[in-house]
Amino acid sequence: MLEVRNLSKRYPGKRGIEAVQFSVDRGEIVGFLGPNGAGKTTTMRLITGYLSPTEGEVRVDGQLMTEHSAKTKKKIGYLPESPPLYPEMTVEGYLRFVADLREVPVREQKGRLAEVLERTGITGREHQLIRRLSKGYKQRVGLAQAILHHPDLLILDEPTSGLDPKQITEIRELIRELGEKHTVLLSTHILPEVEMICKRVLIIDRGRLVEDDRPERLSRRLEQGFTLALEVKGKPKAAEEILASISGVKEVTRREGGSEESVKLLVTLEEESDLREQIFYAMAEAKMPILEMQRQDLSLEDVFLKLTTAEGGQRDA
Amino acid sequence: MRKIWSLFRKELQLYLFSPTSYVAFAFFFLVLGYLFSTAFLGIQRVEERLVYNSMSLLFLFVTPMITMRLLSEELRQGTDELLFTSPVNVLQVVAGKYLASVTVVLFLLAVSLVYPLILTMYGSVDWGKLSAAFLGVFLLASAMMAVGIFASSLSASQMVAGITSFAILLAFWLIQTLSDALYGGSRELFQKFSPIFHLNDFEQGIVDMSHVLYYFVFVFLFLGLSVQSLEKRRWR
Repeated sequence: MLEVRNLSKRYPGKRGIEAVQFSVDRGEIVGFLGPNGAGKTTTMRLITGYLSPTEGEVRVDGQLMTEHSAKTKKKIGYLPESPPLYPEMTVEGYLRFVADLREVPVREQKGRLAEVLERTGITGREHQLIRRLSKGYKQRVGLAQAILHHPDLLILDEPTSGLDPKQITEIRELIRELGEKHTVLLSTHILPEVEMICKRVLIIDRGRLVEDDRPERLSRRLEQGFTLALEVKGKPKAAEEILASISGVKEVTRREGGSEESVKLLVTLEEESDLREQIFYAMAEAKMPILEMQRQDLSLEDVFLKLTTAEGGQRDA
Repeated sequence: MRKIWSLFRKELQLYLFSPTSYVAFAFFFLVLGYLFSTAFLGIQRVEERLVYNSMSLLFLFVTPMITMRLLSEELRQGTDELLFTSPVNVLQVVAGKYLASVTVVLFLLAVSLVYPLILTMYGSVDWGKLSAAFLGVFLLASAMMAVGIFASSLSASQMVAGITSFAILLAFWLIQTLSDALYGGSRELFQKFSPIFHLNDFEQGIVDMSHVLYYFVFVFLFLGLSVQSLEKRRWR
């Protein structure tokens, strides 16, 4: 469906993107993740043909963006970071304008309009001026604009940024629905969003693609020994000593909280070792009952931090 | 064609919404009315030039106001991202917007026809000469709108665009005064570049195709430059 090959955009004196390469199959919902300024928007702008690449190519359905731009653009629905709206137009006037631009036949426009208004939940507001809509509704109009011409590929640049929690949930739900029919590539810097909606994640950092995998596989792969959160009854010092003496334990750190009689600890274990049993017996022997023990999985957030801070160390601004 | 029409309609609609265009219309009609009245009272005779003499000067001020929004506002709002990710080419966008600005010129000129009508109450008017002059002013104003669009393609700030187009137009005006100061070959050369000079024959009631051609080339040149300047943004 979408093929991005060796895509680079270089700006004089500014970082663009360098040799980004991936492909997206029909029907996939792919999350595009990265810190601010990593090149997400640039990549999306290159895919949609808003910018031209310095090097490399973008193919949609096998067609080269640079060669068949009009044909290719018709297949893409794009919601930029800030929805491209004309505040002085009504919702209906705006959508009709977009329908004309995207070559939706005039006799089909009425039906299409009703359909996208319904899907994005803005029915009843079509005669309002866009200027008067709340931010959440503006975002919906932006989405309506992107799906109006039934594109095969949807490119959404931070579709939930700046919305309130309720609106975020609604928009996410909508994206998930859209994912049933369309291929979706969405960028975000909110990690739970990716875990919730996407079946695949691309992580970009400083203009380079650093990871491409399923969210849960990513966290598993990067899990180098897991961490246990413990609450133990007894003296902190003694508890720490006992835990540290168990072989396979890498590190013991004290956590905030705990009461007068108990202490909360974080125990990091060596790679691929499960010492929960040993810890249980060790503590039981020392008559320091374990009040709580929980295994902590690496969240996507941790994975993300690991990936984007691992190489190079310091980040240039 | 449908896309150009749609862009054109959108622009016209936005003219109705923008306060700047009302300021421009008010300025044009007020100053034109004032200049016409004072000149007419002064000479007390029916002369066609009373109607169109001041128009070219007025367009010098009105053009930036009418055109500065056209592309700058798209660039500022980020709606250019909508336009240029749709199956629309840059030329279609520029054409739709340009036609909208030319329509505004037609509107201004149409309303200005009240002045010759007023003149007919006091004597007879040479409609042939007037038509030629109006055609000339229309061509001149249309050429100026093309300059305005080009200026608007340069910046995301309406203010900068407005000032730029005023500066470019003023430069063309100054070419005319420069040519007045010269004689012989250099005078003719500078006159050829001056959009005002090409208006002279129209105001005498003469429609010379070479002048019409000049304005057409002028328009295409600046629209072409606008397209180039927008295309360049993609390659930056």
